[in-house]
Amino acid sequence: MRMRKIAAGLAVLSMALAACGSDEKDSGATSAATTTAAAATTPAATDAPAETDAPAPTDSTEPPPITGGTGEGGEIRLWLNGGDTPDDFVEYAIGEFTKVHPDVKVTFERQQWTGIVEKLTTSLSSSDSPDVIELGNTQAQAFEAAGALLDLTDKKAELGGDDLLQSLVEAGTYDGHFYGVPYYAGARVVLYRKDLFEASGLSVPTTLDELLAAATKLKADNASTPNFSGMYLPGKNWYAALSFIWVNGGDIAVQDGDSWKGDLSSPESIAGLTQFQQLVEQTSGAPKDGDDSKDYIAFCNGEVGMMPAPGWKPGQIINPDDGCPDMEANIGAFAMPGLTADTTSPAFLGGSNLAISANSAHPDLAYELLQILISKGYQKQFADQGTIPALKSLLGDISGSESAVAQAKAAENSRFVPSSENWAAVEASSILPDMIVAISSGADVADEAAKADSAIEEILNG
Amino acid sequence: MTRSATLDHAAEPWNDRDMTGSPSTEHPDELAPRRRRVRPLPYALLVPAIAVLGLMLGYPIIRLFTLSIQKFGLKQQFGAAAEWVGFKNFRSILGDDEFWAVLRRTVVFCLVNVALTIALGMAIALLLQRLGKKMRLLTMVGLMLAWSMPALTSTVIWQWIFDTQYGLANWALGRQGESWLSNPLSFYFVATVIVVWMGIPFIAFTLYAGLTQIPQETMEAAAIDGAGPWQRFRDITVPALKPILLILTSLSVLWDFRVFTQVYVLQRAGGITRDTNLLGVYAYRISIGANQFDKGAAVAIVMVVMTVLMTVFYLRSMTKQEEL
Repeated sequence: MRMRKIAAGLAVLSMALAACGSDEKDSGATSAATTTAAAATTPAATDAPAETDAPAPTDSTEPPPITGGTGEGGEIRLWLNGGDTPDDFVEYAIGEFTKVHPDVKVTFERQQWTGIVEKLTTSLSSSDSPDVIELGNTQAQAFEAAGALLDLTDKKAELGGDDLLQSLVEAGTYDGHFYGVPYYAGARVVLYRKDLFEASGLSVPTTLDELLAAATKLKADNASTPNFSGMYLPGKNWYAALSFIWVNGGDIAVQDGDSWKGDLSSPESIAGLTQFQQLVEQTSGAPKDGDDSKDYIAFCNGEVGMMPAPGWKPGQIINPDDGCPDMEANIGAFAMPGLTADTTSPAFLGGSNLAISANSAHPDLAYELLQILISKGYQKQFADQGTIPALKSLLGDISGSESAVAQAKAAENSRFVPSSENWAAVEASSILPDMIVAISSGADVADEAAKADSAIEEILNG
Repeated sequence: MTRSATLDHAAEPWNDRDMTGSPSTEHPDELAPRRRRVRPLPYALLVPAIAVLGLMLGYPIIRLFTLSIQKFGLKQQFGAAAEWVGFKNFRSILGDDEFWAVLRRTVVFCLVNVALTIALGMAIALLLQRLGKKMRLLTMVGLMLAWSMPALTSTVIWQWIFDTQYGLANWALGRQGESWLSNPLSFYFVATVIVVWMGIPFIAFTLYAGLTQIPQETMEAAAIDGAGPWQRFRDITVPALKPILLILTSLSVLWDFRVFTQVYVLQRAGGITRDTNLLGVYAYRISIGANQFDKGAAVAIVMVVMTVLMTVFYLRSMTKQEEL
């Protein structure tokens, strides 16, 4: 009967479809990691949970690669991520390198932050590994613990020693060994609307209480604007909540001998989270379960009085493609104030580390390139651009916009997530965003903190 | 049949069964003597296909199973020796309440989505049959566009439609600020809309193809005998389409059971992750996100086993159907 033929045809078709499916999944790797993924699902080209705090928006179109040297004396490959390092920085570095080694070919390959952990997991363990790589500071520990990176402990002094940014040195150190060299950093600041501040008769807050009062006043004075936020706090933006926890003396987790103890339900953390909850309930018009990817749209729509944001955010706001260049004169920035005047709240420090792959075929050449990337001449470019350089001696040279200056100030008092090789797993299970979303939606702070504590302890203590 | 009967019979492996058992009416006794001379050619011809299948399906499954009985994290990925741990990974997963919650959610989500996809797909197929030429073409083009759109793209667009502040849905309903994703039930509603929307075209096209094969005379005869539209649908259309429906259902079950992109993208946009994980996303978070390739492999093995069981169940009910 004809129905049977159709059914048989379908069966054949489904086999064919299944086969196509598995082709897609095998994209570019034979490692265990992809095998697991392939059998389970098709993550395909979706974006992945590679959260670091520094990614700037970039084009996905790939320009021709920047290279240098002839290649007779070997070849090394440099991977840098996202748009934080402009092309001319890299050209400078490769130029310096080829002055010394004109016969070595250097190939620069720009990577996307999205999915970088998966890409590094497969490429660093392959025979075709890049030589010098950039890692987000929350991602570094996992690779250090896994033995994927070259041990640079005896080179630390030569690379800058005590002049290196301390919190990035911590991210680059595992079990007493130094693998990840600080590259650059970014701290969160508070952006505000100068014109709305003026209209409400407000000045830049100098204490946390003043900040809360300013948010409340802005919300009241702009009640006619729908969705208006005195302070824009979408629930998945857990970095913002960290400052409240830290400034009150709490933390995410504290190390107790060999094990980690969750600290979110300590009285200090609860106080900070409660303060945060009140701020959200009274002044935020942001989606309670949203992320901060659309905050610049809200800012451009005039729906934001203040918002916590990374230092590069003004660039996204005034981007003529989908931002609002007209807003430029109204954007102000300050480091989030602390409990008393003239102090700041600890800010989450995002940033990057550089490392050499343990599988590098030319570790000596890779090291020389790394030396250039951490040299004063190279790092000065970051300071000039308004990014926080990895060398403390250059912090005074940071110039540029108001947000760059505020960022430098915020970085002086900055904190970081627990340094554990298992931290990446905490982020992957999205424990902190889940907690902040629940708290923002009105859940009991102590309950949610206790839940998060036990989940975090379970992961950090393996 | 244009080829010689001998070749045809030998090339069909299931004839072995007929030869050993009672001779079927189709194949008379002449087959019996051939039983002793094993002919190597047909088997040789099967070798390439089996080799390709073995490489493409067998190797990953064996690798996956090996992973699931080892301790395998990032360290092992970078060359450390992997320790054999027996079924420890399975025990730890099956002993985890979260796994069972995720599994329950996945099964319910899968069943609801399959039922909706098949029902709506059938409705559209019936509609296509009655539409005029122009409208039919228009509908088909629309279905084609929905089908050809990559899952990621359509999910992102649907997520915009349901966006809390700037979404079309809230604007049309006059409910600005209403979060669709924060409550797990409405989260799954949005996910279901996307999955069903993407699943309907294939079902509708295939069922429409099936509908065109049902003899019009049968329908007319039934109508003359006094069968109403519902009776004709229940007693003629559905039984005639049954083999197709069975295959479509089993395919949909396979697809909806391992749904990934839609849930993953929505979780990034809103909602609480631990309350909205489905098995596919859960396995991904464990293996790729947290670098616990061993446990992720164990979850994946459980998924494979469940999928195989479901497939066997459907294929069996289908072959039974054909024996009737």
